[in-house]
Amino acid sequence: MIESLLAGVDLALRVDTFIWISGGLLLGMLMGALPGFTTSMGMSVLVPISFLVGDPLIGIPFLIGVYKGGIYGGSVPAILISMPGTGASIATVFDGHALTKKGKSRKALEMSLFASAISDFLSDIFTLVMIIPVAAIVLGFGPPEIAAVMFLSLVIIAVTATGPVIKGLIMLCLGVWVGFVGADPFSAMARYSFGTSELYDGFHLIPILIGLFALPEIFNAVKEGDMPGSSVASFVGERLRLDELKNSLRTIFRSTLIGTGIGVIPGLGQPIAAMMGYIAAKNSSKHPETYGKGELDGVAGAEAANNAVNGPTLVPLLTLGIPGDAVTALLLGAFMMQGLRPGPTLLTSSGDIVFGILIAMVLANVLFVAIGYVTIPFFARVVTIKKSLLIPVTIMLAFAGTYLARGNPFDIVTLIGFGLIGIAARQAKFDVAPMVMGFILGRELEYTFGQTLALAGDNWIRFALTERIGMTAVVLATPVIGLLLGRRMAYFRKRALERENGDVL
Amino acid sequence: MKAWASKLAATIKAACPALLFTLVWFGLLASDSAAQYPDKPITLITPFAAGGSSDLTARVFTTYLSQYLGQPMLIKLVPGQAGQKGTLEATQATPDGYTLIFNDNFRDQLHQYTFLNDYYDTLEDLVAVARINYGQIAIIVRSDGLYQTWADLEADARARPGQVLFSHSGLWAALFVPAQQIMRALDLRFRMVPYRGGGPAKAALMAGDVSFSMAFPATIAADIEANTVRVLATAGTERTLEGVPSFVEIGLPPNAGYIHRIVLAPRGIPEDRLAVLRNAFADLQANEDYQAAMRQLGENTAYLDGAEYEADRIEHSLEFRDLVEAIAGTLRLQ
Repeated sequence: MIESLLAGVDLALRVDTFIWISGGLLLGMLMGALPGFTTSMGMSVLVPISFLVGDPLIGIPFLIGVYKGGIYGGSVPAILISMPGTGASIATVFDGHALTKKGKSRKALEMSLFASAISDFLSDIFTLVMIIPVAAIVLGFGPPEIAAVMFLSLVIIAVTATGPVIKGLIMLCLGVWVGFVGADPFSAMARYSFGTSELYDGFHLIPILIGLFALPEIFNAVKEGDMPGSSVASFVGERLRLDELKNSLRTIFRSTLIGTGIGVIPGLGQPIAAMMGYIAAKNSSKHPETYGKGELDGVAGAEAANNAVNGPTLVPLLTLGIPGDAVTALLLGAFMMQGLRPGPTLLTSSGDIVFGILIAMVLANVLFVAIGYVTIPFFARVVTIKKSLLIPVTIMLAFAGTYLARGNPFDIVTLIGFGLIGIAARQAKFDVAPMVMGFILGRELEYTFGQTLALAGDNWIRFALTERIGMTAVVLATPVIGLLLGRRMAYFRKRALERENGDVL
Repeated sequence: MKAWASKLAATIKAACPALLFTLVWFGLLASDSAAQYPDKPITLITPFAAGGSSDLTARVFTTYLSQYLGQPMLIKLVPGQAGQKGTLEATQATPDGYTLIFNDNFRDQLHQYTFLNDYYDTLEDLVAVARINYGQIAIIVRSDGLYQTWADLEADARARPGQVLFSHSGLWAALFVPAQQIMRALDLRFRMVPYRGGGPAKAALMAGDVSFSMAFPATIAADIEANTVRVLATAGTERTLEGVPSFVEIGLPPNAGYIHRIVLAPRGIPEDRLAVLRNAFADLQANEDYQAAMRQLGENTAYLDGAEYEADRIEHSLEFRDLVEAIAGTLRLQ
């Protein structure tokens, strides 16, 4: 194995490989930054290029560059115009956009870039070193364990939402219910579709994201008007200082661990990782009340976690031939077209090429920082546009992005509907994040729970107690964790309130 | 200076671009009616999600097909509603040869009987341009599992009806349908566990969560080599793997367990345009690069001309209708 690792180093250190990675990173960042254009869509358009070049050490690193760039690129519209392009950048909106409103968009973008690149680098090294030992663990996570983790995540998200727990729970349940609309995954019978073919497939994530996060922001901006004195969005702000990055290193490392753990398990994905990274950062902070109001550490927590997922998703793909999501399914195709068959024999039959690709992936992070750093001034300048221009452009992006995602006119209606819900929720001081996460996780929970029931058959008590101890343990631990976290959050809220009152007095 | 002259000059100057534009426009229109089809890019609707094996197959053949058509073929992903959304869009498209659809036989020949679909009838609304290729499903178990042969599995399933676990890739899809055909032909009952796609269904088998599954040979080549997976039977009348019985040998219908990938056009497409398309796909078969790319994907290139495939379409569709009618009542119980 060591020989193929060394041979891989040899293979990876090629100028053309790095030129192609750079191209992939740049394309990925642009696509990620375009709302509605998801990383998997971008990659599927670019797959033919990767197989036409006919060299696995160019074609696949190119696609991996697109993947990395895309997940980071999604944070750009999230920070600048409160428009998460994909589920991965939901948690980035909270503090990222608050920083932009304070005129610190450049700081936020740079934090996002460095957090992404550092965590990507560390998780790639983890992938490279641990690919063989970790592969054995992956199969231990079946639908029952994933269902239990989903359940735990939902509870954590509800109790840690901003505002009272009851409001978080209401929004969470609403989101879960919205996820029920459409054909039920087991019998394909329509639910809440009112006999229309549009709702048969349920709601799509992109219009919900843009509707709930971006439209209320636009509405607010219009309501405030273009006051000459308060043209907050007229400057880009300072650069990120080294001590600020140092302060967030703990958060970045923590989120890297979370993201890596989630990435290894097929079927969890970036949205959960980012949310958990953010919540963990907030929970372990000495001043959690500043989160959501423009806290650099919040951006770091979310962005480090979602990029840390990227590398480890390759573990089940390369060692077992099992793609966990659309992106890894595309990579599976790309590997096969280069004559490499992901699966148990890949590392023994073409270990040098695989390690070459993995090493190129690790080194790509250096380019990642460089390219990202060069492009930030261009992106950041977006918000220097006058508000009277920025608002129409943002509205256009919201609608075009929604339509672009799958070319369905009905999604525009969905966008407007969820926009109204978002505006109402903001007026009533409800946090929309639990609703979105409820929507994303509720569907998954339903599906994996249904699979669990099918697996368990009639004797589910025996199933839960003898075959799936892990699942049972997580489910039993969930109320305890929820209660403890909820108390902690309540304490912080109380303290923050006292402090505010103290300031007034 | 004469005012009218300068006015005239100005008018002409202003009119020139408009005139030019009009001329070019008419020129384009004229060329449109006179030119050879196709004179603009062709849209290929694919009702699959990005990244699946069907998406990849489409990206391979569209890449090489353009040189035979003289125009690019652009893929438009329209996923959703188990493929019905894209299929619906294709059936409603103008039959001018500029909108085609890439589908599989389940979406083309079976789904209209299952989801209470009143919107279209693929057999009436679409006509086959070419069958790109086909795949034969294999019944797979873990090498270190209980079953050495299909007979072992069948005996166990008979002894414990509804207890033997089977992982499939989704309702009415490539793994689900053959399993239903097996249950019907051999009077067996498996416990069907759904997964999102063939990859997770295979993972469930490898993890030991289910007793058996199915897969297309390309996706398990590495596992067979590493001896982690054993194949118990493969679809068709003939044996495709040494020492492994075919579906017909174990008592299944000869058409069970096949996936066909087909390009179709809205019916009503002019005959000459349909001929152009069919010829392009026929010519594509001689392209070495296309053949090599498909081999890399582990896919065959068993091409069949659309005219020939039409008869198969109707025959298979009737078989599927039988199957759906026979088992529709039992589905709720699983």
